[in-house]
Amino acid sequence: MTTLKNLVFNLLKLFHSVIDENLQWQTANQDQQVKLKHARVLAAKMLEAELKRRSVQLEHEITLLRTKNDTELAMFKTRCKQDIRDYKQYLASLDQLKRSIQESYKHMPEAVAFTIHHHAKHLLNQMWEAKDVEQKMHYEIQLIEFMTTVNEEARLHPEGATAEKLPERTLSLIQHK
Amino acid sequence: MFASLAVFMSVDLLLQLAMPGLPGLMTQLGLAALLSAFALLLITGLAVIIKRIIASCFDYFSARQRLQRRLWFIQAQQDRLKRLFYFRTLQINYFNEMKRKRLLIANNRQHIHSLSKAIDKDLQSIKQQLSKATYQQLLRENVQYRKQQDVESLLRLQQKLATIVSK
Repeated sequence: MTTLKNLVFNLLKLFHSVIDENLQWQTANQDQQVKLKHARVLAAKMLEAELKRRSVQLEHEITLLRTKNDTELAMFKTRCKQDIRDYKQYLASLDQLKRSIQESYKHMPEAVAFTIHHHAKHLLNQMWEAKDVEQKMHYEIQLIEFMTTVNEEARLHPEGATAEKLPERTLSLIQHK
Repeated sequence: MFASLAVFMSVDLLLQLAMPGLPGLMTQLGLAALLSAFALLLITGLAVIIKRIIASCFDYFSARQRLQRRLWFIQAQQDRLKRLFYFRTLQINYFNEMKRKRLLIANNRQHIHSLSKAIDKDLQSIKQQLSKATYQQLLRENVQYRKQQDVESLLRLQQKLATIVSK
């Protein structure tokens, strides 16, 4: 019975000593705890302020982005419209090219005129569909060369400078494409 | 719980010592202590859970979390705008390309038509040299190729006619 009593007393003592130590630790570290609490609150406030600042900044960026996108889209649309207009003009000038070569070479079969026109259109499409600038330039030069040759032959033939029945230089350009 | 365990052990001891009456009372006491301990454990657990839920609610509606959510929303909006711009560009490009293709098809049709007309004219001029069946056949081919917009075949047909004329 005495042993049990002692055991209980020892347990109580241990319990009290733990509480005592805890209290002592609390007292000793009270300042630091208060400081920690303050620091935590301060950090939370700072984080809130930072988040607020970033939100405002992002909202501003969004407004700018929206304006920029609208402007760029409008510009892109205009450029596309201009592209279509240019393409139309190109087609019209190729039609004109065909007409002029037909007028110069009166006896030229329609199939030859068609082939010349078709080739020019093929070059035009290659130029239009080329992805990089270098290729585009290459096809553009080819097209210009071709158109110049056709125009030259169309101009020279009625003047009697060439005796051929067909625009041979143009046809050789098509053959050597 | 430990107290009830001690009580139960003492009940066992008393039973071994063959003391009447007391063990029954002690068992009741032990049971009550055990049930109380379980009830206390349950209540504590529930209290902890409720406390956690309330703390989570407060945290969810705290200024920091609200601001964080707002920031995420704005970032998502920005991403959406960027994607929208990209897809709008694609759309404009697509419609532009379609327009160009339509122009090209119209132009092709016009020139194929004039080629076919020229073939027709050639056919008329050599009608006498051809048998009726051949003439009809060539005429049909011309119409068919024109309908199919088949440039290669039309050119071949024209060449065929040119060969007939040269003979």
